[in-house]
Amino acid sequence: MKVEDLKAYIETGILELYVLGDITPDEKLQVEAMALKHPEVKAELDAIELSMELYAKENAVEPSEKLRGRILGSLLINLGDDNNLTAAPKHEESTEYEEDNIVTLPARKENNFYKYAFAASFTLLIASSIALVNVYGNLKESKDQLIAITLDRQKIANNVNLMDKELIVLRDTSYKIIHLKGTAKTPASVITLAFSPAKKKVVLDMANMQMPKNDEAHQYQLWALVGGKPVDLGVFDAKGDTANIKEMKSIASADAFAVTLEPRGGSVNPTLDQMMVIGKF
Amino acid sequence: MSKKHKISLSEDELVLALRNHEKIAVEALYDMYSSSLYGVISRIVTDTAIAEDVLQETFVKIWHSFSSYSTEKGRLFTWMVNIARNLAIDKIRSKDFKNQNKNQEIENNVTFIDEQRNTVYKPELMGVKDLVQTLKPEQKSIIDLVYFKGYTHVEAADELGIPLGTIKTRLRMGIQQLRKHFN
Repeated sequence: MKVEDLKAYIETGILELYVLGDITPDEKLQVEAMALKHPEVKAELDAIELSMELYAKENAVEPSEKLRGRILGSLLINLGDDNNLTAAPKHEESTEYEEDNIVTLPARKENNFYKYAFAASFTLLIASSIALVNVYGNLKESKDQLIAITLDRQKIANNVNLMDKELIVLRDTSYKIIHLKGTAKTPASVITLAFSPAKKKVVLDMANMQMPKNDEAHQYQLWALVGGKPVDLGVFDAKGDTANIKEMKSIASADAFAVTLEPRGGSVNPTLDQMMVIGKF
Repeated sequence: MSKKHKISLSEDELVLALRNHEKIAVEALYDMYSSSLYGVISRIVTDTAIAEDVLQETFVKIWHSFSSYSTEKGRLFTWMVNIARNLAIDKIRSKDFKNQNKNQEIENNVTFIDEQRNTVYKPELMGVKDLVQTLKPEQKSIIDLVYFKGYTHVEAADELGIPLGTIKTRLRMGIQQLRKHFN
């Protein structure tokens, strides 16, 4: 290495950093190798070291007097151990020294960052999961409510629809309203129906029907009497909770209407002793 | 502060005596360097009891790892002060120490210590004090941060908000200044 190169090396300030202990292990080895090889570097290093040593002396702080005894005690006991000598000098507080003999070197600085970061992440994960479950629950509840509301809306729409139909029937002047009155068998029963010969339509008012409830095995059957002969107009149930109108089979003319209780599905001919209501047109 | 039993040897004598595990070497080592090392330690660890523990740990470590020191690597003090500084920094970064909550803002320590204690004046350094005062404050603050506080020059650049190159220059110039004064 040329003299200029050595000078340049010295001027990088790496020797100062070496003496200040502010250097990587690799750089440290490099400086030591350079000092061994080049007396100029070694001399420069010595000068820096000496000045820093003197600077440290300049800034020295005297430790307390009793610390001298304590530290020397612990070192000399080590010395005794190391050499198997009994030369360890007697000190007044020697038992205390023995306790101090074993000195735990401080643990290398632990990096707790990742520990804490992991803990924090984990906590965050748990919290997020809980929040997610909650949000999911809320979402599900909202969906259920939405479904319920949609169903309600549909129901209302249906009702409005049916009421519209009722209104149409009521407004249509071709319809005649006929009240079928209870026979001796069920004097309290009443059925209202609307009949339009022009449109050949028969509509039962299910809402205001006052009939005994039929069981599962039986159904009511509506008949039209045409020229003394019964004509089947269809079957229906008296459920009591239906709020609508029911259109029956069509017929152009009728003298009277009657309802009998028949086996479920209806019969071909009316069972006359099971006649519930009857009304003339 | 002077002690009648203070022992002083030349560095070569001391190193030799230490290698031979002589009792006198241990005492000389302590008497010659304890205050210089404690000056560094107590600027990093402000709590006196802990700083004293660190000084003890430092001497124990010096003693136990003395075989790894060689004169070829440089002056004995350079090697020892690195041990002391590292132990002190390890201490203030350790869990125990942090838990004690006794640590002060590290930046304040140099001035804090110097306000709290009178530094020791060595007869051989009489007159040097004045020369050191001629060290420019910006040079002194960087040298003190790195040498006494164990900052890396990169950390010192951050701390002082000064470019890295300037830090390195000031460190070098400051030490040049010290060399002139001590020679």
